[in-house]
Amino acid sequence: MHPELEILLQLQDLKAQRRELEEDHAERQVEVQEFNIDVARAIEELDRKIQEMEEQLSPAIRSRYRRISEGRGRAVVPVINGICYGCFESIPTAVAGDIRQNATLRHCEHCGRFLYILPG
Amino acid sequence: MQLREFFNREAISLNLKGETQDDILKELIGLLNLDEKSEGILFKMLKRRENLGSTGIGRGIAIPHCRSLVVNRLRVAFGRKPEGVDFKAIDGQPVYNFFLIVAPPLEVSNQYLPVLGKVAQFAKEPGIAERLRELKTPDEFLQLLEEKGI
Ligand SMILES: [Zn+2]
Repeated sequence: MHPELEILLQLQDLKAQRRELEEDHAERQVEVQEFNIDVARAIEELDRKIQEMEEQLSPAIRSRYRRISEGRGRAVVPVINGICYGCFESIPTAVAGDIRQNATLRHCEHCGRFLYILPG
Repeated sequence: MQLREFFNREAISLNLKGETQDDILKELIGLLNLDEKSEGILFKMLKRRENLGSTGIGRGIAIPHCRSLVVNRLRVAFGRKPEGVDFKAIDGQPVYNFFLIVAPPLEVSNQYLPVLGKVAQFAKEPGIAERLRELKTPDEFLQLLEEKGI
């Protein structure tokens, strides 16, 4: 797997976790009620980790990542069964479904998001 | 929707070997049959979630969970460590039973939260710790889920 794709995946997972704690009422409630999580402290911790990971990206990738994040939310999306889960357009069949393609950092030619190929 | 529908025999281990939180998490992830890179990323996410606050909810049960891009649908696993392990549980007691729950960030079927809630509910069933301790085969675990009808 491309090393920067690995960082981008982790960033996206961290951001999903943060978004759920901050914005998703039901998810936050489960974390607080069942797991006693301190939401404010958790968000602070996630922000720190997100920043740390962003700094590991090369400047070119980081600026692309930030540009997409600010404009369209999620900058990294999975490709499942040949479909980009950012814009739901088809991805060329040579790329889709072959996880070896993750060795290259790719982006969707329709929506520009970074792509992570999942096994079909 | 019942918990039983989400578990399969291959993702159940009644004899986890790990002695530490890290080892247990890795073993649970191993039950999902992902590629090595995905396992590594998932481990980091689960570990980070544990660092925000242990998922050991007491009564010897922990529910490590997170959302991650490395899975394409909701995945669950069950593991038992008969000798117990320190998982920094809320009640400070060792943890014997582990329910792993992982879902993609965008989940069309929206099963992650209901399943998480049901597992937490299952964990609170009276006498559940004893029942889990007595399990001899993965099939008995599946039968117990069915019996509880949660
Ligand atoms: Zn796209």
